[in-house]
Amino acid sequence: MNSSIVIENLTKYYDDFLALDNLSLTIEGNENIGFLGPNGAGKSTTLKILCGLLRPTSGKAYINGFNIASEKEKVLSQIGTIIETTEFYGYLTPAETLSYLGKLRGMSSDDLRRRIPQVIEMVNLEKWLNIKIEKFSRGMKQRLALAQTLLHDPPILIFDEPALGLDPRAVIEFRRIIIEAGKDKTVFFASHQLSEVAQICKHVAIIDRGKLLGYDAIENLERDYGSLENAYLELTGVPSE
Amino acid sequence: MSELKKLQTVINYEFLKHIRRKRLYVILLLVLISEAATLIGFQTMMGGFPDNAALLAVMLSVGPSMAAFGAIFFSGDAIAGEFESKTGFLLFTNPVKRTTLVLGKYIAGCMAVAILVIFAYAVLCISLFAVYQTIPPETAQSFGLCLLYSISILAVTFLFSSLTKSSMSAIVITLVLIMVISGTIESILMLAGKPYWFLISAAGDGIALVYEGNTELILSGLIPMEEAGNFPFEIQVPNIGHSVLAMVIYLVGGLIPSLIITNRRELS
Repeated sequence: MNSSIVIENLTKYYDDFLALDNLSLTIEGNENIGFLGPNGAGKSTTLKILCGLLRPTSGKAYINGFNIASEKEKVLSQIGTIIETTEFYGYLTPAETLSYLGKLRGMSSDDLRRRIPQVIEMVNLEKWLNIKIEKFSRGMKQRLALAQTLLHDPPILIFDEPALGLDPRAVIEFRRIIIEAGKDKTVFFASHQLSEVAQICKHVAIIDRGKLLGYDAIENLERDYGSLENAYLELTGVPSE
Repeated sequence: MSELKKLQTVINYEFLKHIRRKRLYVILLLVLISEAATLIGFQTMMGGFPDNAALLAVMLSVGPSMAAFGAIFFSGDAIAGEFESKTGFLLFTNPVKRTTLVLGKYIAGCMAVAILVIFAYAVLCISLFAVYQTIPPETAQSFGLCLLYSISILAVTFLFSSLTKSSMSAIVITLVLIMVISGTIESILMLAGKPYWFLISAAGDGIALVYEGNTELILSGLIPMEEAGNFPFEIQVPNIGHSVLAMVIYLVGGLIPSLIITNRRELS
């Protein structure tokens, strides 16, 4: 299996609520995919299943060929994630946090000594490297969250609203880093911001009520519907003007 | 990296958490205050220290017992906190088994509680030596029991931490279980003359009651014998073997289910 992410008939119930309804989606290697849908569409549920945080009621999912249900540790070694607004341990500094996470991801001390300054520089937190995170603002935590996703240089990045809480300048910087990192990685990017998705991704998958409504290149959707916004509105049930 | 090295990593960083949090130092201070209050109380209220060093040792066991209960405050948030504060999104998305994470947290908690217990016994031993120039040999047994009791309480707290949504709930439920429910059942069984060694509160009693293996002797130092004879029930001096067995049961019965539950628990 050469695809980066394969989702097969994924169904997820929260008690009686159907969050994912037989969702299937295949993402090939080194693609940047926007994952769009209204609130409650099932985006976060899908991403959490891919990260091993939730178990599907039925169906299967694979990351780089590894089954999420039976090879969870192998799956998690392939991904870097930002799920919701990331919370950190306030008693640790960014240097300690990255060192902790890096070691859990199998990085050697030499790798960490080389890599931590690189990712910290990418997110402009050099001056804060040895300050306890309890003093950090929401935006600083999100930048650190991005640093930790890139730390072990995983082939797949999974983001759920990663720019939440960032000021406009930081959003632009965030986007630049993701675009740069995404050149040789698969980026699966859930967001409500269509313009954000359009700038980062070449393809989008649109879901609602747990079902996949469309999966195509943005340029194809723009050609067929006039714009990505129109495609989104029509596919999710709100007709365009 | 092997799972064992990851376990070592989790232990190191979790222990760092305990060392950096104020609660360790607050409990250390409380232990010190309780020991000082016991010593001052004897001097001022009872006109001096008792002749029997074991009696003062029993009374000073309040410090080690408090240290053991520190385990609850150390571990209430160990698992529930990852879900409550959503740090689990950061921790559980690493390629490490949740069993390793929970075991690492547990061992780090044991190390932190051991600091409290060692400190409490250091204060106890220094106090006894200062007053009597001797330390009752049963203190070593009491120390061992207190350490075991601490890690069994830690395991029970881990169980509730894996079950509840909030750290505070885990702390409150464990305290109520040990101090209220177990204590009440112990009193009822004591009055009924039935065995109660298997209760977690009774297992902890052994920490203080190991001295000279004779509760009456110790009580006679505090209460006139004629009044002691009027007790409506018999205090069963816990058998060390029974105490150890009870503590091991609570340790295993708390830790293993917490591992299973945490492995199954979803973070939505």
